[in-house]
Amino acid sequence: MSQEKSIKPEIIPVTLEQIQDVKISSLSNNVPVYLVDGGNEDILKIDFIFRAGLTNEELPLQSSATVQMLTEGSESMSADEIKRQLDYYGITFAPSFERDYACISLIFLNKYIQEALGLCSEIIFRPRFPEEELKALMNRKLQWFLIDRERVSTLATEHFFESIFGKNHPYGARINKEDFTRITPYNLRDFHSKNYTPSSLSIIVSGKIHPDTVKLLDNTIGKIIFKAIEKKRSPQLPYSETTKKTDITRKEAVQSALRIGMQTIRRTNPEFPALQIVNTLLGGYFGSRLMKNLREIKGYTYSISSYLVSLELSGYIMIATEVGKKHKSGALNEIIKEIKILQKKPVQESELQMLRNYMMSDLVRMFDGPFATAESFRTVWESGLDFNYYLKLADKIRTITPDEIIHIARTYYNIDDLYVITAG
Amino acid sequence: MIEFRRHILDNGLKIIVHEDKSTPLAAVSLLYLVGSRDENPQLTGLAHLFEHLMFRGSENIPDFDDQLQAAGGENNAFTNSDITNFYLTIPAVNLETAFWLEADRMKKLNLTEDSLENQKMVVLEEYRQSYINQPYGDATLLLRPLAFKVHPYRWHTIGEELHIKKVTLKDAKDFFYSHYGPDNCIMVVAGNVKTDEILRKAEKWFGKIRMRNIQSKQLPPEPPQQEERKLTVTKNVPADAIFKAWHICGRNETDFRNLDLLTDILAGGESGRLYTTLVRDKKMFSYINAYLTGDMDPGLLIIQGRLMNGVNYDVAEREIDNILKEIQEKMIEDNEMQKVKNKFETDFVTGMVNILNKAVNLSQYEMMGDAGFINREIENYLGVTAEMIIKSALKYLKNNNCSTLYYKSLNSN
Repeated sequence: MSQEKSIKPEIIPVTLEQIQDVKISSLSNNVPVYLVDGGNEDILKIDFIFRAGLTNEELPLQSSATVQMLTEGSESMSADEIKRQLDYYGITFAPSFERDYACISLIFLNKYIQEALGLCSEIIFRPRFPEEELKALMNRKLQWFLIDRERVSTLATEHFFESIFGKNHPYGARINKEDFTRITPYNLRDFHSKNYTPSSLSIIVSGKIHPDTVKLLDNTIGKIIFKAIEKKRSPQLPYSETTKKTDITRKEAVQSALRIGMQTIRRTNPEFPALQIVNTLLGGYFGSRLMKNLREIKGYTYSISSYLVSLELSGYIMIATEVGKKHKSGALNEIIKEIKILQKKPVQESELQMLRNYMMSDLVRMFDGPFATAESFRTVWESGLDFNYYLKLADKIRTITPDEIIHIARTYYNIDDLYVITAG
Repeated sequence: MIEFRRHILDNGLKIIVHEDKSTPLAAVSLLYLVGSRDENPQLTGLAHLFEHLMFRGSENIPDFDDQLQAAGGENNAFTNSDITNFYLTIPAVNLETAFWLEADRMKKLNLTEDSLENQKMVVLEEYRQSYINQPYGDATLLLRPLAFKVHPYRWHTIGEELHIKKVTLKDAKDFFYSHYGPDNCIMVVAGNVKTDEILRKAEKWFGKIRMRNIQSKQLPPEPPQQEERKLTVTKNVPADAIFKAWHICGRNETDFRNLDLLTDILAGGESGRLYTTLVRDKKMFSYINAYLTGDMDPGLLIIQGRLMNGVNYDVAEREIDNILKEIQEKMIEDNEMQKVKNKFETDFVTGMVNILNKAVNLSQYEMMGDAGFINREIENYLGVTAEMIIKSALKYLKNNNCSTLYYKSLNSN
């Protein structure tokens, strides 16, 4: 049996030829609604996206506390009732916050759409922010915060963002213990009235959309009217601190966390698709240069990744890993070495082919089903772009040359500009 | 309704195919019936280490991941006490590449000293990252040997550092031939595929692999626990924590569903009784959760929580006891029953959206006896009554069946 040849099947390259259209609608109060219809199961996901992130804060924690306090009591319901009702109808109510946005994602069975929308317009638009609940939430969050700070990964990440975005910019400012006791219900009400308005809201609906879905949305969320209140102006562009290398010592740690990177271009830059490809080649998938070298050859780490993120005011690249303590300097050297190789040596055809096929299939995965499609839509929508971005990316994946990869690596991974933060 | 077809090859490989034309992808789940339960007590962690070695080259293919990625595939795997599950997604047009890869490594691995040493290092970093360099990361490592004295569930799947270090090439090879093989595997293919074609291709790629005649091992049952067990550790963590574990039934017994819904009544969502009473109203805990370990043999029901500063263990534990007593002594109201059932239904349906989840779930249900259970699960859960939950609670949630780990903070006194 072992003499038999195992003949490798032929690989058929896949392509992203067309992407399902996102339908655009709007409610009576002018809130835009993006609709992604599909799927076998009768369920629906609704993302309520508010421009209410860290950049809108006048005080630390305002954005996160506001979105997390929504379920702690509304004008006509107690926290208890809200949570019991959500759970009773099996509604997932997931609040999240980012640098530029805050978001509430609902998932529910379509048979409960009326209940879900009724509850949510009450929870999202008529919160009470009761003082006692806020105090309790802040106490719990403080404990999580203190636990988090025991992790070298948290220490390194926090210092990394402070370094590349500046300690006075909302993208880089760190949270302190005292912030948890300082925040008041008034701060949240103020933030809510300025930022949770129809004019700051966009809605993405995905899943099995019925003929009356938009009408039901309009009957609830579409009826919300707020006075326009002057909002905080957008902050200045972030700028990086001058110290590029920091080593945070933690004697008792058994691993060191490494965070390496810098600010970079945004998705709107024409070179962003190429940068996305180079970032994947370096550390964006299991077959990446960093993963192969630091994990599969050296055994320094369980995992290493390189991230490329586009934000409203800037973008960043960040290489992140946790390595055995004694491998810290070895790992740093290898990471820098891999970047230098990208800048000098043209990538071999076989590796480039693997990267092209992997990335193209990954693009196909990003549009597999309504939920994935909606998420991919949100990514480009946040940059003010549409699905054409992915078609451009697909085109670049097909055509990028080894020379172009060298050019991108030299332009966007300049070794002297890298911030290198280690903890542990 | 999830339709599928089952076929068993002559060498014992069970194949389940489910067609879903709404996706351009195919998902493949290979579930091998081998987990840390099958390990030698002196060589724990080998099953998980072996999962890593499965990616380090087979008879004809030195680079599993590269080949899969070149065909647009993406994969991962996990190991637990009972099983090792490899899974992948790939554009459906390239599914045969997945068969080529999986069949080659099912037939024969090409294990070397270098790849063994390298993956030992990687696994030890995984151990440090997930269990040591994390606050409370080693709690489950401490809880298992407290609750189990005889059954192999007494060690954690990650294993012991010293055991991992001493694994030899021979240990690894022996492990492969005594546990990996077509007759110890369930393969599910789901996605944009044609069943007949899949079965034909499966025969072509897997049909010639010899049966290994793998013997299922008789494991010693855990003797009933007779006395309350307690363990206290003090570590550099910001707050005191508590972990309580009760022995329960196996995954396949009807009590399991009752207890699963019980944990939802206790801690499902923010309206769960533990959360509402102890986190929100009394503010004694900053976090509390209840769940089942889900093992095939009798496993554990675990309640774990972190205490707010200034709350002492006696008070905290009494409060947990009171909530458990309330379940056992009072009727659970209809709308609370309806709530946990509705939540179960939404979560179950949501889990079926993704083709990979469907494949992995089908392979797990087949392992439990029949992939068709997937279509009866909602109905089964909807049939649970308050009386059934109370009866199961009375049966298992007894003090002499409980092990408690007090995970104390250095700063708390």
